[in-house]
Amino acid sequence: MKYMILTFASQHDYQAMAGKAAGQPAWTEADYAALGAFMRAFNQELLDSGELVETRGLSAPVHSRRVRLEQGVPVATDGPYAESEEVLAGYWVVDCTSFDRATEIASRLASCPGPEALRTRAYADVRPIDDHQPDFEG
Amino acid sequence: MDAAEIEDLLRSLTPQVLGAAVRRYGHFDLAEDATQEALLAAASLWPKDGLPIDPKAWLVTVASRRLTDLLRAEQARRRREETVAQWTLTEIEAPGPAGGRPADGDDTLVVLFMCCHPSLSVASQIALTLRAVGGLSVAEIARALLASEQTVTRRITRAKQSIKDSGVPFVLPPGDTGRLDAVLRVLYLIFNEGYASTAGTQLLRVDLAEEAIRLTRILRAIRADYSEVSGLLALMLLVHARHRARAGADGSLIPMAEQDRTLWDRSAIEEGVALVTAALPQGVTGPYQLQAAIAAVHDEAESAHATDWKQIAALYGVLLRLDDNPVVALNHAVAVSMVAGPRAGLTLLQGLEADSRMTTSRRFHAVRAHLLEQSGDRAAALVAYQTAARYATNTQQQRYLQQQIARLCQPV
Repeated sequence: MKYMILTFASQHDYQAMAGKAAGQPAWTEADYAALGAFMRAFNQELLDSGELVETRGLSAPVHSRRVRLEQGVPVATDGPYAESEEVLAGYWVVDCTSFDRATEIASRLASCPGPEALRTRAYADVRPIDDHQPDFEG
Repeated sequence: MDAAEIEDLLRSLTPQVLGAAVRRYGHFDLAEDATQEALLAAASLWPKDGLPIDPKAWLVTVASRRLTDLLRAEQARRRREETVAQWTLTEIEAPGPAGGRPADGDDTLVVLFMCCHPSLSVASQIALTLRAVGGLSVAEIARALLASEQTVTRRITRAKQSIKDSGVPFVLPPGDTGRLDAVLRVLYLIFNEGYASTAGTQLLRVDLAEEAIRLTRILRAIRADYSEVSGLLALMLLVHARHRARAGADGSLIPMAEQDRTLWDRSAIEEGVALVTAALPQGVTGPYQLQAAIAAVHDEAESAHATDWKQIAALYGVLLRLDDNPVVALNHAVAVSMVAGPRAGLTLLQGLEADSRMTTSRRFHAVRAHLLEQSGDRAAALVAYQTAARYATNTQQQRYLQQQIARLCQPV
């Protein structure tokens, strides 16, 4: 069964991570290095256990475009998010034995290093992927 | 022979077995499936039973038998669908050079040409080359390309269908330099894919660069006469020689000027330099040889400071005449600024300001900022760094640019 683990951050969070104070202190070089080391180890472990299908980090929300119909025509808008709005920041698709196992994997993200204020409000969501299998396939 | 050695042997035989099967029976798409099944059978039998006397002949026999089964099944299916097409299971045996059997190398080359056929999408060319020539499994390709297995399977299936539909004959096309250039491009993209990094995953991907080098070596063994093949192999070796110095302990990328050059792979550099030195006087000098020559000048410098920038600027100048590409023009401007100072570089950048590929490029603005600061214009440098930061989509690059901005905001 496949599950998607999602993490969230705002434009302000991204800016702080890039070393620019934005309503919260900028990350130090050590903060950023610790994050990189944690993510590499985390991904390598999932790769070694054969559970990682894929993972991606998204660039800052400011680079987003939103496309929607306006008078029947698709129109793109740059930068649709407010700077403090938390939006999808990255995801993992894992293929594992149970929802509990996927949750266990996501729980390990709680030990991801970072500035304390960010750590206390950060969260990850786990969602089963709608992998439709016909019933007769057993 | 242990399992890893058997796997290496099987991968090196993959294109030859596929080539032999297609040459005899046609049907590239089914022959590719049959070859994969023969390889799987060998991988499970040989470690237990030992190697057959002629491993390649064994694989060709098993693949041919399997192909016959697949063709029969296909024929039966067609008959059920009441089509009148008749399959011939007889050998088609295209005449080889001078009427004899084509050499193994020719088979491999034709397989490469088919995988990189211009009617296929680039993504399909890459996936099919890694599978049919590289002998990688779908799972391995998916992992290397950071794509899902379904995606890779679909790309390969679609590619084989296009080859089937196009009816490309399994023979070496006459006057093949255009086709050879297409193969070189795919190999170059595979190499670069090995370096493309997404957050936290760059360390997993070195293998693809090595696979590209292995495949280019195979091609060079067949077509050493085309000097761009040597040029590409040299370029890959000379760039890959630095891979151990490219990332810090924390995984962050280290620019060449700051790399610990004792970590550079001396034997790869020597081989690359020898290849490009031998290739340059041969025939027309193409873009891969020029890029290899530039990489060689970097690799041979004791330090960033001791780099022969004059030669690099001259080589980029020649490359620019072959390939009017703004990225090459940007590199040329950087090299010129190292020789003639920041103002000379800035003058060249002015010529690029109208190019929309440059106005939205983080690197263009970062280079411009650096040169402006060197020329003493801190205020303009700050604005240029801020523009660069607006276009940077990567957090590490963002961090670098924010550091420069913070530094320039401090009073001198």
